Amino acid sequence: MDLIRDILDTDVLDRNGRLMGKLDGIVAELRPGRPPVLKAIELGLATKARRLHRKLGRIVGRRSKPFRIAWGDIQDIGIDATVKLEAEKTPVLAFEKRVRSILLKIPGA
Amino acid sequence: MNKLLEIALGVVTSIGGFLDAGTMAASAQAGARFGYSLLWALLLGMACIIFLVEMSGRLAAVSRHTLRDAVHKRFGLNFSLSLLAVSMILNLLVLACEIGGVSMALQLISGISLQWWVLPVAAAMWAVLWFGSFGVIEKGISIAGLITIAFIVGAWKLHPPGPDMLRGLLPSLPAQDKTNYWFTAVSILGANVSPYLMFFYSSGAVEEKWDQSHVTVNRFVAAIGMIFGASIAAGIVVVAARVLGPAGIRVDDYHQAALMLTPLWGWWGFLVFVLCLAIASFGAGVEVILAIAYELAQSFGWTWGKNKRARDEARFTLGYTAPILLASLIMVTGIEPLRLTMFTMALTCAALPLATFPFLVLLNDPIYMREHTNPRWMNYIVAGIVTLACILAVVALPLQIFGA
Repeated sequence: MDLIRDILDTDVLDRNGRLMGKLDGIVAELRPGRPPVLKAIELGLATKARRLHRKLGRIVGRRSKPFRIAWGDIQDIGIDATVKLEAEKTPVLAFEKRVRSILLKIPGA
Repeated sequence: MNKLLEIALGVVTSIGGFLDAGTMAASAQAGARFGYSLLWALLLGMACIIFLVEMSGRLAAVSRHTLRDAVHKRFGLNFSLSLLAVSMILNLLVLACEIGGVSMALQLISGISLQWWVLPVAAAMWAVLWFGSFGVIEKGISIAGLITIAFIVGAWKLHPPGPDMLRGLLPSLPAQDKTNYWFTAVSILGANVSPYLMFFYSSGAVEEKWDQSHVTVNRFVAAIGMIFGASIAAGIVVVAARVLGPAGIRVDDYHQAALMLTPLWGWWGFLVFVLCLAIASFGAGVEVILAIAYELAQSFGWTWGKNKRARDEARFTLGYTAPILLASLIMVTGIEPLRLTMFTMALTCAALPLATFPFLVLLNDPIYMREHTNPRWMNYIVAGIVTLACILAVVALPLQIFGA
């Protein structure tokens, strides 16, 4: 498996099939003289910004932190990655919830 | 039987997707200024969009993923966000053109300045999206859009000379006004090969839960629908060439274009034109708004889909609400809609290489396409489209400056 081609930027689904976001980053531990170990994946605007430009990443990173999911919590990786968590119980939907609270005031929501 | 019904509905929908304010404006100008001699541009645009739409639909049906998703994953964040940025600017301009098209139609019928209509039109588009499901939006508007068949009927009744039309299917250089001729040709191509259409179509296929059994349906829908849509656009060229050209009307604004059906049907002809402009622009406007929201949601990994409740996909809902406001602001400034439309259509060409190049890679990716990857001959066609897109991107800006 090619980590960059096959894993990075895939959709991340929770255990109920709900979209959590894009797999924006991979966290690996580098070990001297031994192969690196995959520790976690990252989701969030801060990771996206960091990938675009380090300075932009620092600016965005002051306002929002990336959400990390331990590698062991990944259930399956194909075209999408499925994790063992529940999206609603994680901070990845914080912005969604803020917008939702406004929308709920409009008739028909 | 079900598949036949799906094809029929899909074809009707494709007509709606093909015809918009841009196609109507570019076709009317082409016919009025250059007779039938730009029919080749329409034919070329139709051929390109048939292949691009077919591939977008096939990718969605086989992989159950949208074109935008696949681009993001295979080409990475930097390319994806660059494409998104270009796409958003263009889509906002196209949306402003569509809002302008509907507002202009209302101005033509009411006499009240289009600036007063911009916000009500934008609100109506938002209401359709807020209250309607994907099926209602897509098929309802497309069926209403069948009124544009009036242009084919009109062209038929005007008895255009067959040999002249056939000659128009091959590129030829006019004796004068050469720069404007090429600018109009580029605008026609830009109007027909709209990147938003591919992203909208593949998202729609996922919304309607297409699977591998829809590969054939998709092929028919893409081919017949686009041919039908292009025939209506050709009808506009012919009517403009027969009616407006000989009268010396060059179509500098929609008031002049609105006269094209009056020699045939008098006041009713005017009314039919206004209805065609209003419905085609409204339908395309709603599709563009959805395309914007789809692209945003699929690029950032938000839950999306017009068949879900707004509360379950709040960011997607925000993704179609904010652009309507932004596009309305462009039109409220009082910019002439036809000029903005022609400018936007030519500008679209500048983005075509970015939007078409991914097809070369994605449609040959067995992880996405399984046994439905592109055959070799189709890759040659895609390579041809990408080459054409690059040429258009290079000439679009100079033609904007010197030919518009």
